[in-house]
Amino acid sequence: MESLVSTVRLLKRYGDRTVVKGIDLQINRGEVLAIIGPNGAGKSTTLEMVIGVRKPDEGTVRYWCQEPNKHIGVQLQTTPFFPELNTQENLRLFAAFYGVNITDQQLNDTLARCGLEGARKTDASKLSGGQQKRLAIAMTLVHNPELIFLDEPTAALDPRARHEIRELISKLAAAGTSIVFTSHDMEEVEKLATRVIMIADGQVRASGTLEQLKQKHQVHNLEQLYLTLTE
Amino acid sequence: MRMIVFKTMLGSLFRDAQTLFWSIAFPIGLLVGLGTYFDDPQYSQQLLAGVLTMSVLFGSLNITAFGVLQQRNRGVYKLLKATPFSIASFVSCLTGARTVVGLIVSLVTLAVGMMVFHVSFNALSLLMLVLILILGTICFVSLGFVAANFAQNEGQVNMISNLTGMPMLFLSEAFYSLENAPVWVQMLSKCSPFTYFVQAAEATVQGNLSAAFFYALILGCFTLLVLALAVLSFRWDSESKRMIRLGSAN
Repeated sequence: MESLVSTVRLLKRYGDRTVVKGIDLQINRGEVLAIIGPNGAGKSTTLEMVIGVRKPDEGTVRYWCQEPNKHIGVQLQTTPFFPELNTQENLRLFAAFYGVNITDQQLNDTLARCGLEGARKTDASKLSGGQQKRLAIAMTLVHNPELIFLDEPTAALDPRARHEIRELISKLAAAGTSIVFTSHDMEEVEKLATRVIMIADGQVRASGTLEQLKQKHQVHNLEQLYLTLTE
Repeated sequence: MRMIVFKTMLGSLFRDAQTLFWSIAFPIGLLVGLGTYFDDPQYSQQLLAGVLTMSVLFGSLNITAFGVLQQRNRGVYKLLKATPFSIASFVSCLTGARTVVGLIVSLVTLAVGMMVFHVSFNALSLLMLVLILILGTICFVSLGFVAANFAQNEGQVNMISNLTGMPMLFLSEAFYSLENAPVWVQMLSKCSPFTYFVQAAEATVQGNLSAAFFYALILGCFTLLVLALAVLSFRWDSESKRMIRLGSAN
């Protein structure tokens, strides 16, 4: 399997506190990689170093291409769209940030993929929580990236909205997009991920496919593994 | 791509009808109200320059400071860092859009002032005034970035922008003369970019273009200084370090 991103001994400190303590990870083409772990474990900081938003204090990140930010889509925990702009204006703006002058056809395709056709002219501030998350994911897709990062894409959503986002992630994965996501919902991770990395206290505690992890740690499900490794 | 971003930013500013309405209504109301109260042609010129510059000061400083803080806390700058579009390009598009809106507000105020007070300009003076208003807008938009960079939340940004803007207004000759003010007040006044902005605008309104050019030059130096401070104090998100405090970017 082709490696898209690999990190070597990533380390990040905030003042005296070391939040990421030498993380090695690999992201492969076509996989859906879930990063799990307790709050404050270093998941988001690790993701931010991988996408180039934060500079590691030590260690390196290697990418499969020269200009990775043109081929990577990012959805952060916050919803960084412009509330006074409507859905399609936000998409056009973010396409411009990625250097793409999006055509009407591309715009329609992105809206359709994310189930936002009916909300194309709705101000972003007036979208429901689920629609806002779908817009945030749509914004990661406007430049047809090969790899997308989703930081807690279903957090704080009602069951229906969570279901819709999961379906969207499944569709994207089926279409060949490589996906890395973080989540606290172990059931969701079991449904979506082809591989799981567990981070706790700034270190990788477990890594592998669901079956490999269950076998290695003698557990029945991911929640059990999580509880065992975070004791 | 910059043009798309600039146009979108400009469109979003025009969409905020309430802010736009009060940005225009307040200076015009102040101009007409005070102009009617102090019915003196000489004071009308000072009033026109004072209202125009005050409108630029608060329109640029406060609106920018709040806008930048909200964008930073929403993660816009963090996400931009993950795209090929540079933060400098985004800031210049945003500043450009705010400058256009500020200029339109100023021109409407100016037109009302010219009609009500029968003040007239030749083409060169009008051009000079527009250039000074643009320079002032860039200076105080940059100061708005500085205020946002040192604030963590809306309460702090409100306090910082008021603590910056209000003293600059009171230490200037926008609405009254400082001729009889204590020496320390006059000295402090000389340290404020707003003082030179007011003096440049006043000199232009009075037709003294060489003095206007001189004050505009000082305002230009202040603008470069504030721009440098804005860049050095810039923060991508609320957790990142300021270059100006710690010597390195995060």
